[in-house]
Amino acid sequence: MSKHFIREIEIKNFKCFKNFKAEGFGRVNLIGGKNNVGKTALMEALFTNIYSINLGYFVVAIAQLKNRRNILENLDSYIYGDSMTFKEKFIIEPLKNSQIFNVKTDIRETCFVCENKNGIIEYLFEIDKQQFTFNLESIPYIRGTGNKIFISTNGLTNRNIVTYYASVQKEDKEEFLNKSLQIIDSSISKFKILEDKPYCKVNEEYIQLTELGDGVKHFISIILALYQAKDGYLFIDEIGNGIHHSILDKLWNIILTLAKEQTVQVFATTHSDECIRALVTANTENVKTYQPKEHILEDNEIQFIELGRVDGRVDSIIFDFKELKNEVAQNMEIRGW
Amino acid sequence: MVRIFCEGSDDKTFLRLLLNDLKKSGDIIGFENFDSIVKIMGGKSNLLNKDSYETINKQIGKQISKVLFIFDCDFEEDDKSCGGLEKSQKAIEDLIIELDWKIEVDYYIFNKNLDYFIIDTLDKKKNFLGCEECFELKELNKNRKILTCIYKSLYPKKPFDFSHENFDELKIKLKKLFKEKQ
Repeated sequence: MSKHFIREIEIKNFKCFKNFKAEGFGRVNLIGGKNNVGKTALMEALFTNIYSINLGYFVVAIAQLKNRRNILENLDSYIYGDSMTFKEKFIIEPLKNSQIFNVKTDIRETCFVCENKNGIIEYLFEIDKQQFTFNLESIPYIRGTGNKIFISTNGLTNRNIVTYYASVQKEDKEEFLNKSLQIIDSSISKFKILEDKPYCKVNEEYIQLTELGDGVKHFISIILALYQAKDGYLFIDEIGNGIHHSILDKLWNIILTLAKEQTVQVFATTHSDECIRALVTANTENVKTYQPKEHILEDNEIQFIELGRVDGRVDSIIFDFKELKNEVAQNMEIRGW
Repeated sequence: MVRIFCEGSDDKTFLRLLLNDLKKSGDIIGFENFDSIVKIMGGKSNLLNKDSYETINKQIGKQISKVLFIFDCDFEEDDKSCGGLEKSQKAIEDLIIELDWKIEVDYYIFNKNLDYFIIDTLDKKKNFLGCEECFELKELNKNRKILTCIYKSLYPKKPFDFSHENFDELKIKLKKLFKEKQ
């Protein structure tokens, strides 16, 4: 497995995690668990840590924790008009409401503290023991598109999709993308960017992606993001959202193949038994699913992370692929406790 | 959550039926999917081998808070190390000590094996034993698997009489397993 992959994490005081440790992550990691146990929060902690290559990105990563979950509220305040600038709305406000936390992976350690010094609140950002202190007005931030991508339940924006499609073009993989689209809907023959907007050719007519079903957009977003995340990381919240159960194994086929080909570490969450079973099917040599032997990942490259609570504290059990396969074959409950 | 460890798929099928019967009678409340808590260990030797519990060790104290082992004692002459009731008992108690799980652990051992146990509960036991003698089935199949297969084929709708006293001890252990925390 690649050197840049996260193997372990230690989280202190991040959302529902008071003191949490997990180790043994692989190339493709599926997170399961009951509602509100911290599946998305675990991915957010991983993303925040890995995104924070410098202070500017760290600031944005923390702000995104709020922004990603507040899309409707932000849209609402935009419609009804507030006078805030971008920085006030999307950087300063989210930081004001952020908690102190510490997230350590084998890649880096990130720590965020806000302190009240004589009535003035100072924000301390620490990356690998290097400290930066700011008040909110002078805080720097960097917005950028890189190879660390988080697909929330709201999906990607058209702007993201257009940008990520360039990565597919760079690799001359347009045909692969078009062929993959047939899996989700055989009437879709082509994906194209026209006047800076994503379109699909459906029965000889180009239709805007936003006019098609959520599942189609989600499916395309995942493929594009896997190319964009080359040598990086992809986080997908509720991976099976909008995808019919009968094609989940084929979606996993694509993810497993591209995660290996593009050296991407993938983290995804699910509630669905069908989604877990589909992952097992996809990584099993099988004439029915057309998964060729060379695309089968090793047992330790796929990990299933089951989250649950022990005496109120969030804890995890990590199964490698062989263990997951055995649990699934016996219909054991592994979607949280 | 609870876990039951058994030897094979026949045991799992039997336990699923018994557990559903206990649910129907109100002895087990609030549990839907018994399939998801009965784990097949792949034979008695695996069930009694601590190395078989590598994955389960990760779940103990987290997902798994109570455990019941269910297996056959088999015949002493077939297995010098853990055949027969006495040796089976010692083997499971040694395993429990070795595993050192620090949760509630119990076990139930079928006298001889599941098929023997079931034949003993049949209302037409005499007929089946006669059939066994007549066709000299015991010579062919000491485990009585053939007899239970014949019985299940003849009475597919009511394969077991769970009200038979033979089931009582096992039922008590199962009810205890599902009591309180689930």
